[in-house]
Amino acid sequence: MPGYKRAELSAELTVVPSRGSEESPQSQIEAAKRAASDSGLAHEAGPETTVLAGGRSEVLEAVLKVVEASLDAGAHAVQVRVEAEGDAERFDERG
Amino acid sequence: MTRAQTTPTRERPRTPVSTPGRVGEHTTRSDGVPKVKGEFEYSSDLWVDGMLWGATLRSPHPRARIWSIDTSEVEAMSGVRAVLTHGDVPGRKVCGMEIPDQPVLAWEHVRYQGEPVAIVAADHPETARRALEKIAVEYEVFEPLTDAEEAMSEEAPRLHLSGNLLRHIHTVHGDVANAAAEADVVVEGEYEVGMQDQAFLGPESGLAVPDGEGGVDLYIATQWLHIDRDQLAESLDLPPESVRLTLSGVGGAFGGREDLSMQIHACLLALNTGRPVKIMYNREESFFGHVHRHPARLRYEHGATKDGDLVYVKARIVLDGGAYASSSLAVCSNAASFSCGPYDVPNALIDTYMVYTNNPPCGAMRGFGAVQACFAYEAQMDKLAEALEMDPVELRIKNAIKPGDRLPFGQEMPEPAPVAELLRRVAAMPMPEEKEVMGRDLRELPGGVSNVTHGEGVNRGVGYAVGFKNVCYSEGFDDYSTARVILSMEGGEPLVQVHTAAAEVGQGLVTIQEQVARTELGVERVSILPADTTVGSSGSSSASRQTYMTGGAVKGACEALRERVLERVRQEFGEDLDDLLLDDGMVFSESRGMLVPLAELIGDEELEENFEFHHKETFPFDENGQGNAHVQFAFAAHRAVVEVDTELGLVRVVEVATAQDVGKVMNPQGLEGQIEGGIAQGLGLALLEEIQVSEGKIQNASFTDYLIPTILDMPPVRAEILELADPDSPYGLKGVGEPPTIASTPAIVSALRDATGQELARVPVKPEQIVGLATKPPDRPPQPGSGGYSGIGRLDERSET
Repeated sequence: MPGYKRAELSAELTVVPSRGSEESPQSQIEAAKRAASDSGLAHEAGPETTVLAGGRSEVLEAVLKVVEASLDAGAHAVQVRVEAEGDAERFDERG
Repeated sequence: MTRAQTTPTRERPRTPVSTPGRVGEHTTRSDGVPKVKGEFEYSSDLWVDGMLWGATLRSPHPRARIWSIDTSEVEAMSGVRAVLTHGDVPGRKVCGMEIPDQPVLAWEHVRYQGEPVAIVAADHPETARRALEKIAVEYEVFEPLTDAEEAMSEEAPRLHLSGNLLRHIHTVHGDVANAAAEADVVVEGEYEVGMQDQAFLGPESGLAVPDGEGGVDLYIATQWLHIDRDQLAESLDLPPESVRLTLSGVGGAFGGREDLSMQIHACLLALNTGRPVKIMYNREESFFGHVHRHPARLRYEHGATKDGDLVYVKARIVLDGGAYASSSLAVCSNAASFSCGPYDVPNALIDTYMVYTNNPPCGAMRGFGAVQACFAYEAQMDKLAEALEMDPVELRIKNAIKPGDRLPFGQEMPEPAPVAELLRRVAAMPMPEEKEVMGRDLRELPGGVSNVTHGEGVNRGVGYAVGFKNVCYSEGFDDYSTARVILSMEGGEPLVQVHTAAAEVGQGLVTIQEQVARTELGVERVSILPADTTVGSSGSSSASRQTYMTGGAVKGACEALRERVLERVRQEFGEDLDDLLLDDGMVFSESRGMLVPLAELIGDEELEENFEFHHKETFPFDENGQGNAHVQFAFAAHRAVVEVDTELGLVRVVEVATAQDVGKVMNPQGLEGQIEGGIAQGLGLALLEEIQVSEGKIQNASFTDYLIPTILDMPPVRAEILELADPDSPYGLKGVGEPPTIASTPAIVSALRDATGQELARVPVKPEQIVGLATKPPDRPPQPGSGGYSGIGRLDERSET
């Protein structure tokens, strides 16, 4: 991710909603966003996508919670892409 | 379509080969004459046969939910080649320099008025504009969140998943609680800084040209080619090497071109249509197309002994970041860092907040966080001087920070830090002549020839201020710049070509690069190649850093090249030669005289060196806001003399005097331009410039309604320059672009207070504040038949005076 305050780790999570679930597709996406929002690390990155950026352990912990929330809400799949910044230790954690 | 067919047929004007001027000498800028004659090609002049015109549909609402976007009617329009929405962004759908939180095109929420929702490419700009009117967007409009304090409350709607608080820096220095008892005098104040615009003259524009192989070339006016390139590559889902940027003519920047505006949009349309696409904002759209200076509210408490020694400073600073992050994290850092001014403050407790709202996004602007703080802390110093019955300059000198003192964020002030010296100098400068006001030429009175005052009610006031700011990037960012320098022979004479990605934005960087190359290589003819992404990053033309960083990179490359040449001479004339130098296109030995002309030594060869220049390491703040966060500090003191029509609130700034430490004068003419230009921008913030935002909507998106100083507003500037070398920087130089803007504003407002007796706690100062009618401008301008300002505004806030 570009920027001059790069986070140590960023994770992009895209919920693929299930049409056959009890919860509506929108509800599944919103469940993921709520979980992401609770982490304090999240930004929206598309209609079904959120980005979590921060320190390595806090991002990985938040990824697990978002994936769990998505699955609990009925989503069948969550695409996760995790990127580490090579020189991240020099950067502000929340960037 | 092949790349050859789509590459612009109109070539960029070649950068002229310039000759005069080495480091420290008056050097006329090579782009100066074509700019003055109207022959310079700005980005808005870009043209290629067969190009399409892009246009952007923007949200009219500062806060709304998008329920649908219907483009079907546009798709059927004759002359329209593409209409794109968020679903057409192939890569990352968000961008941002520090936090990628800003949608390339909005999909669900819009968070500020003017947020891009859809883009169109058409054969003609008017067709594109009409096509925008045919796009149907269904919005559910919400009340915007426009108050930064309110945005921090628990009840406020969360504008982003991460909440509304972007950053909070809690700075703890010494022990304020215990120190407070030692203070004999305490002064408090609340201050407000309005939203200033960079007001660059060349609106955002650029030309994207598809290469026929899936990639794209973008010709663009920007401040940092590589960060644009990286963001483009991510959103276009292309490898960086498939996105090539070349700097086009930049019509001013001042921070407003650090973020992306139309870059991704133009490239998306070009790649989608397979044709070159130009986007050019008009002035109104430009106000929505770039970030602005953060408005701020600042609450201060200063405690001092009866002798005038500062004991403590407490402050709460709230900056409104607007809808998206931009560079707000770093602006917050600067506001915190410079919150106490260039003074030795033994105890400080500072809380600095940066928040999201539904106001226009704010980001980089000349002075970058230091401006807002300086307005407040200098007002406090005047207030303290008054409470102590001390001379305000004497109070400042008494508390001026010195090398070795600790700043409130824990960093030791390095050499040189001539704060007291600058204040002494500016105070000792001759005062401007004070003619009898009655009967004076009207052009020398407030209001000029508008036939207002003829001298009655005019008071003169004098005010002082001093400010400082960091140069280069801070908080651990590995800041660097890259230069490629080529030495060859052309027409029998040596020629140096300098290639960097550094953006000439009007500040005179091309001239500096030429001067450095001439100085280091002893060659007169220098050509600066177009800045592009085929060479390594030079970082941004911001933070007063380019002369330091890219000047350093060019110097380093030239030194490497010189050493290569001299080594060749040693091999030919004797390895013991340790007194060689290059000058006038020849190699000399101090002991043996001229040894060999470069022409003979190089022949048909092209000698090339690349160099990456890094400044010394910096570190992030800890949880108490402590850290060696900054590279260099630059200082300037100002004295303003004003005359005020106290009945109508009109102001004439008679003179601004300044003393500035620049380390090394690289180009006297360029320095003069930076000082006068910076003071003009500081004067603008003091008296004129504010983006009026009501309920999240900009009310004055034009240069008719957003007032910038003209030649008639600008006073003579009297300047004294100190050259105290920084041991860590190239040639000992300091960045000079921002300091003139920082303290000029509080100096002018201080002079206004002196002339009027009003508190004037908000900038820009409006006539109604000067005459004591209101502490703030009215909520809305007078309406027809309303009886003018007497019938509107914040009557409850009007003072008794």
